[in-house]
Amino acid sequence: MATIDSIQSAYIDYVLTEGREPQSVYLFAKNNEMTEEEFYRYFGSFEAVEQNIWADFGKKTVTEIKTQEVWPQYSAREKALSFFYSFFELLKRSRSFAVYSLKKQPRALSSPRVLDNLKVIFENFADEILREGIETGELTDRKFFSKRYKDALWMQFGFVLKFWTNDNSAGFEKTDEAIEKGLNVTFDLFQRSPIDNLIDYGKFLAKNGSLKEKMGM
Amino acid sequence: MSEDKAQEQNSIPTSKVQRSAKFVKTGLKVGGNYIKHYSKKLFNPDLDRTELNEDNATDIYESLSELKGSALKVAQMLSMDKNILPKAYVDKFSQSQYNAPPLSGPLIVQTFKKYFGKSPEQIYDQFNLKSTNAASIGQVHQAMLNGQKLAVKIQYPGVGDSISSDLKLVKPFAFRLLGMSEKELDVYMREVEERLLEETDYELEVRRSIEFSNACSLLNNVVFPTYYPELSSKRIITMSWLEGQHLREFLQTNPSQELRNQIGQALWDFYNFQQHELRAVHADPHPGNFMITPDGKLGIIDFGCIKEMPEDFYYPFFSLTSTNLLDDKDETIKAFRKLEMILPNDTPQQIEFYYNMYRQMISLFAKPYMSNTFNFSQTAFFDELYGFGEMIARMPEFKQARGVKHFIYVNRTNFGLYNILHELQAEVRTDTYKPHLINVAE
Repeated sequence: MATIDSIQSAYIDYVLTEGREPQSVYLFAKNNEMTEEEFYRYFGSFEAVEQNIWADFGKKTVTEIKTQEVWPQYSAREKALSFFYSFFELLKRSRSFAVYSLKKQPRALSSPRVLDNLKVIFENFADEILREGIETGELTDRKFFSKRYKDALWMQFGFVLKFWTNDNSAGFEKTDEAIEKGLNVTFDLFQRSPIDNLIDYGKFLAKNGSLKEKMGM
Repeated sequence: MSEDKAQEQNSIPTSKVQRSAKFVKTGLKVGGNYIKHYSKKLFNPDLDRTELNEDNATDIYESLSELKGSALKVAQMLSMDKNILPKAYVDKFSQSQYNAPPLSGPLIVQTFKKYFGKSPEQIYDQFNLKSTNAASIGQVHQAMLNGQKLAVKIQYPGVGDSISSDLKLVKPFAFRLLGMSEKELDVYMREVEERLLEETDYELEVRRSIEFSNACSLLNNVVFPTYYPELSSKRIITMSWLEGQHLREFLQTNPSQELRNQIGQALWDFYNFQQHELRAVHADPHPGNFMITPDGKLGIIDFGCIKEMPEDFYYPFFSLTSTNLLDDKDETIKAFRKLEMILPNDTPQQIEFYYNMYRQMISLFAKPYMSNTFNFSQTAFFDELYGFGEMIARMPEFKQARGVKHFIYVNRTNFGLYNILHELQAEVRTDTYKPHLINVAE
């Protein structure tokens, strides 16, 4: 009896051995001793299989980091860092598949479709930690912009993922650096910064524009 | 606390781009100094280059000290290559450290997972994710294991690359700024790069630390932490925690002369034992690398930088400082030639000139070796030393680098040692570990 897991691992094995996706669901099912129907019970297409594999990486990462002893003490920034490090640590074990899956995606500005399900999980996670961060005052609540924070994190994630697929440093040390430096910059922007004060000051001046006249200057 | 840190980071140009920008700015300033110089010269043809050189030196120095990191280390080395530190430099000496932003908690966890497959909490009974202080290229955390307090040093990722890229950035500017040719300077640059890269190899550091602390264990009043190789890796070092005060803190407690002398003696013995018995020396006499324990001993906590002294350097150099060789002009010149302080193509006038200058310099340097005890509190000796250094730094004859590459670290070590002893105001017996010399006079 086929399960989600068995289909996924059979699929990974196939694409890594053959370097391409199976010609049809029919052939793939036949080779793995299941019916086409069984396959379709879980997945609508091969792309759906890949999407689910990616989503699994995300789910596993979130579960893993939340069980760490230090988790409750972490700030939002550290929680995000922890997600990134653990995700790429986990992904290391499936690097061949990850690279295969990403490389065959057409180059586009938006994130590749195989990551669609992962994106949902990522955004839920990001929402959660960002909300916490705003509540504790670690991050600044800005009108309109604070809703886009998670998009910035997702973009950062896409960047690191791309960086990692091309990283050939030992132990992917450069990816670690990319995470540390990149996320720190992003979170610095989420925090109250001189720009906020500048805008604040600007608003004040605009509101009190008639001050000069009043003072007779 | 965290705000302080953030502020600190903001003021240091960290990325390669920022650093490049900094160098470019210096280049422009120096260019400006040249324009100033030549426009003045239009009206006053007799103007010499002294003012120009001073302007340049100030600008270079300022920008390099803003940069910190390995760039400052290089600046340090280059100024030391002038054989004696300019005084302003010494003040900065103790502050020069690789200044990377602190590691985030998750990155520390990640580093442990990568090298040990476990998180720090699984390895130690207790681990403090907040670092207690910055080490030169990493940071130190406190941990506990089986009731033993530990110091865990973790290296910043990518330090090795950053050193190499910094040096690449410095090179072309250094050539121009110091008026040296690439070929001349390359030997020194490579020496510096080699040492700096060695510092990033924590596995090597642990091996050496164990080796050196064993070899030096017979010295009085010198203590070392215990190293745990099984809890160390390429980027992590675990050692026992040494309780004590840093030199500055120690001096603020107004210690007795006796205690100062005791610490000074321990330092002197530690360095000279290594130089003359081990022929390899802890080449980073940075005050931050020492602790003074509550029972008045000198604790040594960092063996990242070791300079080995080959025979073809050791014998000619120390026979100059420790025998009456300097009284014999021919033999002295012979030694200077071996050390490349006098070069094969020098004219007789040049030979005479460099002979005189280097002779003066070496006899100054060797002063502490010439008697059985030496009082390092004498300001006169240091003023003479710095004065001489500043004088020759301004002489056009010394624009060109001379001397074998080993001088960089050997000078750094010995002048560093002299400086700390001066700060300690210590009087030490200088005849405890003397050079072993074969008869170079033949």
